[in-house]
Amino acid sequence: MQNSRISQNRRSLLLAAGASLAAPLAAHAQAGGEDIVLGGSIPMTGVFAFAGVGINAGISDYVKILNDGGGIKGRKVRYVPEDTGYKVDVSVAAYKKITSQNKVSLYYGDSTAFSKTINPELDRNGNILMAGASFATELNDPKKYPNQFLVGPDYTEMFGILLRHIAKEKPGAKVAFVYSDSEFGRDPIESSEALAKKLGLNVVIKIMTPPGGVDVSTEVIKLRRAAPDYTIFHGYILAPIPEFITQGKQQGMTSKWMGTFWTMDSSTVMKMGEAGDGFMGVMPYRYYYDTSAKAPMLDKIRQMRPEYQSTAYIQGFLAAMLFTEAAKRTLDAKKELNGKNLKAALNSIKDFDTGGLIGVPITIKGNSIPVGRVYKADMKAQKMVPASDWIAL
Amino acid sequence: MRIGTLKESYIADAALFDSRTQKVWLAVAAALLVLFPFIASDYWLYLACLVCINVASATGLNILTGYTGLVSLGQAAFMGLGAYTVAIMQLRLGTPFLLNILAGGFVAMLGGLIVGIPSLRVKGLYLAIATIAASFITHFIFANTSFTGGTGGLTVPPASVFGVLLDTSFRLYWVIVPVTVLMLLGAANLFRTRVGRAFIAIRDRDISAEVLGIPLLRYKLLSFGLSSFYAGVAGGLWAYFFRVVTPESFPLLMSIFFLAAIIVGGMGTILGGILGAVFMTMVPELLKLVFDLLPNSTELTVFLSPVRTIIFGLLIIGFLVFEPHGLAEMWRRIRRFFHLWPFRN
Repeated sequence: MQNSRISQNRRSLLLAAGASLAAPLAAHAQAGGEDIVLGGSIPMTGVFAFAGVGINAGISDYVKILNDGGGIKGRKVRYVPEDTGYKVDVSVAAYKKITSQNKVSLYYGDSTAFSKTINPELDRNGNILMAGASFATELNDPKKYPNQFLVGPDYTEMFGILLRHIAKEKPGAKVAFVYSDSEFGRDPIESSEALAKKLGLNVVIKIMTPPGGVDVSTEVIKLRRAAPDYTIFHGYILAPIPEFITQGKQQGMTSKWMGTFWTMDSSTVMKMGEAGDGFMGVMPYRYYYDTSAKAPMLDKIRQMRPEYQSTAYIQGFLAAMLFTEAAKRTLDAKKELNGKNLKAALNSIKDFDTGGLIGVPITIKGNSIPVGRVYKADMKAQKMVPASDWIAL
Repeated sequence: MRIGTLKESYIADAALFDSRTQKVWLAVAAALLVLFPFIASDYWLYLACLVCINVASATGLNILTGYTGLVSLGQAAFMGLGAYTVAIMQLRLGTPFLLNILAGGFVAMLGGLIVGIPSLRVKGLYLAIATIAASFITHFIFANTSFTGGTGGLTVPPASVFGVLLDTSFRLYWVIVPVTVLMLLGAANLFRTRVGRAFIAIRDRDISAEVLGIPLLRYKLLSFGLSSFYAGVAGGLWAYFFRVVTPESFPLLMSIFFLAAIIVGGMGTILGGILGAVFMTMVPELLKLVFDLLPNSTELTVFLSPVRTIIFGLLIIGFLVFEPHGLAEMWRRIRRFFHLWPFRN
């Protein structure tokens, strides 16, 4: 009895192993059609899952809308995501797996490290246009990263938008930069200090905190002594921003507090509680609930998903929109779908209407979309409300 | 007791491969390794290279932790030292592949010797905590010196061997696999020598080892040095494989990954390091392939991904609970079963 159970177990184990080995072959057989494949290394588990789940939903929804409307010149777009756990080696494995099994033209990457790691492979392959979750300034270089683009402004441009807003609101203001000791955190600091000077702003202090550090009491004292009018946080999702604000306010600071994209999702800011009231930051897209202007694409999203969708969702949705727009333009020009042609088509986008996802028509000259708006937290309404007009650099 | 393997001398007893069956299987494995790149897709070649790099590093950690009994959480830091050395030499000096890899190993070895100094005073968890410092110190150096490219790191140009540019998984396979095999043979041979036996004696009881005339400091440092040499070479291969090296490429979590690999695989056996690294690298990927077979798997990815991660975690716990000696012990049991098969099982 026991022997037969063991042999049954062995048989199922063998079946599972055999099936797993045959899987790539089966998938390969399906890939012979005319579908345009959009692959994705998506972090659906791990530390970045909070964004990955939204990105995945955003891309899926746009692809569904597009395919329901007939696809691109009669060709369907097939979205093939793989979970990466936000690990570079797993992301590359996902890329290799998806590109081995499908003829991929478009690809969404999950991190700066992945974008940098896969870049030589993209150049070698030559058939893929890639965008991703990264807004790293380094990637905003069409010469070094010819087959990639950012779905919004890079981090330096985000700082640029905030600093321009500050310079307009309070000329000559004192500004503090608080950032994490990571590639993400340090990214815009040096260049933004130069820009602040150019705009007549005074960067009174720069504070770098250890990644993951939450005990910021000594840093808050330094910040209070510098008495900035505006404090810009970068390189964090949430912690230690609430700690800074709470302790700063307790010590009588009157600074206005600001953040960049990955802090600015409505659900993240609302987690700050009372301390986050009035928290401002740069956002390249309209919030899900922003009805201050006509936005047909947002209406469609609200119809499809009546519950709040994160800014990561909008980012994924817009990435899919721009990918497929580039594919459409390439096919319209009767050109082959390859990295070079897709990028050229993307760069031909001029005064493009995103259906209200971004409040102004966009033009993609290089690798980024340098547009954004300053939003402010209204804790009573539990919403982010516009604090500036759209600022295009 | 196996039949048909009578040994008449100590040399025969200490031989690495002692039976014809074993040699035949090794020849089959070698032939498969040679054939593999011609039949496998880019995805499988990528995984094969990644597994080999992880096997090399896990074997290094096994020398230190499995054989010498010194727990280290600095393996990723030593890999980082090797990777940065290779990146800098390739980028700034353009020196040959083999020299860069060896230099990566030796720089990491130097780091290992320094980090290993506290091992004479502290053991176990205390030593593990002391070696964590290596991760933080190397991260600080990598992130704060312009020589290492700061937080942005370095982009490594592909190496060239005999005029062939190593820019694809297929081409890299032909250097990564042989280097890993050489390292494995080196490690296996090490434990047939006086040095290797001294490591084992230190692991089993360091005071007794000293009484037997084994200088603890020298051998503990040697173990650290050898282990980090392996990590350095693995890091060098990693740099050529991923072509981008940043301070965040070698986090503390990576050291834990290698420690988990040798625990799951089986500490103190070469096979354990291999099986552990293969398990830790391949099981998440194989689980993905199994989940892909489910209907609507693409639409359900968002729900299936966490389930997959949980299953992977449960598998690790399961192995630890039901086979604390690791996969190597399971493998040994399977082999034992077939020694007399089909006459007895």
